[in-house]
Amino acid sequence: MNRLYKKTVGLTLLAGLFLGCGVAAAKEFLVGVEIPLTGSLARVGAGMNEGISVAVDIFNKTNGKHTIKTIVIDDESAPAKAIAAVEKLASQEVVAISGGYGSNNIAPASDAANKLGLPYITSGGVDDSLVARGYKTFFRINNTVGYQKAMVGLIDALKVKSASIVYSTKEATANLAKDVEKELTTKGFKVGMHAFDPAITDFKPIINKIKLQDKPEVILMCGYENDYVGILRAAKVLKPKVKAMIGVWSLATAKMAADFPDLMPWVYGTALLPFPAEFKTADGKLFAETYQKLYNKEPDYLGQFGYVQSLLLFEAIARAADNDTLHKGGVAEELRKTDRETLVGRVQFNDKGDNINFVHRMGQHQNGKIGIVWPSEAANAKPNFPAVPW
Amino acid sequence: MKTNASIWVLLLVAYGAIPLTLGSNHYVMSLLVAALVIGGIALAWALLGNLGGMVSFGHSAFFGVGAYVSALLTLKAGTPIVIAMLLGGVGALLASLVMLPVLRLRGPYFALAILAYAHIFKIIATEWTAVTGGSAGLSSIPRFPTAFGFDFSGKVGSYLIILSVVLIFALCYRLIRASDYGIALRAMHDSEDATRVIGVNSVLLKALMLFVSAFMTGVIGAFNAHYINFLEPDYAFNGLWVTLPIVAAIFGGYRTILGPLIGAVTVYLIDQLVFKSLIPYGHQLILGALLVAMILFSPSGLVPLLRASVRRNHAAG
Amino acid sequence: MLELILQALFSGVLQGGSYALIALGLALVFGTMKVINLAHGELVLLAAYIAYTVESSLGVNPVFAIPLALLIVCAAAVLVYFLVDLIRQDRELNSLLLTYGIAIILTNAIQLIWSADIRSTGSAWFQEPVVIGPLYSMRSELVFFVVSLALMTGLWWWLSRSWYGRAVRAVSSQRDAAKLMGVNPRKTELVSFIVASILASFAGVALFSYGVIQPSYGHVLTVKAFIITVLAGMGSIPGVLVGALLLGVTEALTVTLASSALQELAGMCLFLLVLFVMPNGLFGAAGRRG
Repeated sequence: MNRLYKKTVGLTLLAGLFLGCGVAAAKEFLVGVEIPLTGSLARVGAGMNEGISVAVDIFNKTNGKHTIKTIVIDDESAPAKAIAAVEKLASQEVVAISGGYGSNNIAPASDAANKLGLPYITSGGVDDSLVARGYKTFFRINNTVGYQKAMVGLIDALKVKSASIVYSTKEATANLAKDVEKELTTKGFKVGMHAFDPAITDFKPIINKIKLQDKPEVILMCGYENDYVGILRAAKVLKPKVKAMIGVWSLATAKMAADFPDLMPWVYGTALLPFPAEFKTADGKLFAETYQKLYNKEPDYLGQFGYVQSLLLFEAIARAADNDTLHKGGVAEELRKTDRETLVGRVQFNDKGDNINFVHRMGQHQNGKIGIVWPSEAANAKPNFPAVPW
Repeated sequence: MKTNASIWVLLLVAYGAIPLTLGSNHYVMSLLVAALVIGGIALAWALLGNLGGMVSFGHSAFFGVGAYVSALLTLKAGTPIVIAMLLGGVGALLASLVMLPVLRLRGPYFALAILAYAHIFKIIATEWTAVTGGSAGLSSIPRFPTAFGFDFSGKVGSYLIILSVVLIFALCYRLIRASDYGIALRAMHDSEDATRVIGVNSVLLKALMLFVSAFMTGVIGAFNAHYINFLEPDYAFNGLWVTLPIVAAIFGGYRTILGPLIGAVTVYLIDQLVFKSLIPYGHQLILGALLVAMILFSPSGLVPLLRASVRRNHAAG
Repeated sequence: MLELILQALFSGVLQGGSYALIALGLALVFGTMKVINLAHGELVLLAAYIAYTVESSLGVNPVFAIPLALLIVCAAAVLVYFLVDLIRQDRELNSLLLTYGIAIILTNAIQLIWSADIRSTGSAWFQEPVVIGPLYSMRSELVFFVVSLALMTGLWWWLSRSWYGRAVRAVSSQRDAAKLMGVNPRKTELVSFIVASILASFAGVALFSYGVIQPSYGHVLTVKAFIITVLAGMGSIPGVLVGALLLGVTEALTVTLASSALQELAGMCLFLLVLFVMPNGLFGAAGRRG
């Protein structure tokens, strides 16, 4: 006990010294990364983490003045461990936190960060309740509305009038499906809703219902990779007479094109960038090169989001350091002033920390490539419509 | 006499030394709170195992029901948290009523039948959107209030609450074990047929133990909901609420009262502080290995093992 | 509507065939040893990941992974057997906890080796649709349904005709009597573990060929297999088939007639219903009640 006590006192003194010296001398800043690397969210967490590492690499090479070092803690996809991770990071003197996946982990983690006065930026939680709290320290670059706008936007552009939505009963997918349903119904669409339990593997009975009862023009899929594979396989077998298969996240990716080449043709999904990536901006080119160098593969959307959220944070830290407001809430202040074009479009935060400009783009699998087909100003390809994988 | 003294020292450390020295270290405090949550479930789980003779893989059902009941009562009916937590326990107890039919089943069947209930409750929580908020879950669940000029929503406050809850449960466990029921239950262990002959209703006794265990787990679940402030079906009924307590209870010795508690705190802290730095991703692997090793080499747990070796040393010395 | 129900029945039967293959191993070991191997689903998943490795590195059809899967999964199963055999007291409950621990180890080991990405076969041949009148299926489903039936017939033949098979049955029903008749129960238990792992290997390769796998999936498989074992009643091979088909059909009909969100709920309710109404399963002998 005595040793622990000494240690605590020591740490406190050390922290005091640090604060007393000010930050002008220290040029390397610690940033915490709280992210799921094991458990149910391991895959998406790992993807986001790659983007964060790329952001560190790029920031340190390009900023010239400041450098960033990250401390990564696996939250094991568990809320209590996400809280502990944030608190451990705080005790290690990080200036802000990047990361988090799943609203149930992000909510308590950002709550803990808020209590400790640490800015928290993420792209892993689209639930509206996250921003409804109105924290001054919470920021996110994407939201359900952005996905909804993209899905409905594409459907409008394709000029169809009926749709069936197949969606997982998980939080993010169910929310999105219901929001899309609401909007489509008010537009006079005929919408069929089909919720499925995440444990389901055989989708033929659902697709058959859609084929024989709903008879929609398009099928919308709100799920995750394993769900898409199941749905598309079932659809390929049953061949419902639809004009398009439209999904959301994790679908219009290079990985899916490579892993499931005969399921993906002409399938739509949200995508930030075409594949092979065509980066028009210098920023984008640098990102793709660095990603290739570090991980020897094409960047995916998780990496892109992780990269953008982290780079915005690092830049805010650098600005706060220059203004000498780093420990006076300057990072959150600088983040709120963010207004810049990024890989995910223009980013500006409202007073609740939500990115007001976020609108996702829709891509389509086209001959092993992914073309951006909506919105028209970002498009590099024309949608092939009607077209399905079978 | 000696055990009494060590318990007083333990209490003094738990209530005095730890909050005073570590109270400002949020990280360690949140690890301790999480460990005590696991410890509380482990205690309830071990009570069912030790006195009821039943292994359960479905305690997440009670944990989730308790959490949901308490969260909904505070959110929608404005019930004070203390009452809501108790009612969370009652809710879990009521949930265990529907499990009564499976009590007649032999060990493995009971263990997995109760798991089916956990699945069912989770799906109900997902589908009953009007009440539970569905898969989107419940957010902004009220925190612990400020009472007697002390903010219980902070780390130290939460720690003191869960510590007290768990210790009260341990005391209840002790009282039950020492009561006539406890004696009858232990007799039942040795020979169920014999106890039936002398007129002990074994199913009723088992049912009572299931109720107690469910109530305790429900209260712990309720605590956790107010501590984390967020609830969704996947989280509330997660299998982890069973895995860790089982490892902890077996590690500490599920036939003892404090074993599961000590086991939980030890296993959780070692896991987070040591294993996690050894294998950052996938350290649960070591937990699995630990469970295997304990079952093979010391199925009655570490605490009885240590006690035995201490006794042996005494005898030798 | 009729067309819908017919397709649901057909899908349910095919799904049931694959469930049966997964459940058989669990039921067999439970029969001889009274041990529920909670790591059984992970063993199936291990075979599936071996199929993935073979397919992705050699570029061949996943069925060619079966020999390698047999080798590794059998070795793993024998190891599990020897660990279970080390238990000295209260084997029925302690083996549950022991195999639970092994399941945790395997799940995490699989994630460390193969990462958390989802995997499934890329073989186009397996994914071709097969249409029989108004009924649709994937070729892999039909192929493995036939394989599953063949393996079940083989197992049934082995249990009723061969010496070891009879020994397994004898140990299952009357352990002490079998001992008196000169059957070594420990050797028989080992044999049943090995046969179970052979079934698990086929089940795993089948799973990879028609479904999607990820590291956390093993637990789901174990639970499904246990439900079927309960439906079947102890040690009954036809029972396992009927139980598996019943589960598959119930799930598919729930999706068609009610909502797909309730599919898992229907399976669990069926499980509890059978436990309450027919505590010895559809084909089992007495002995499940405490």
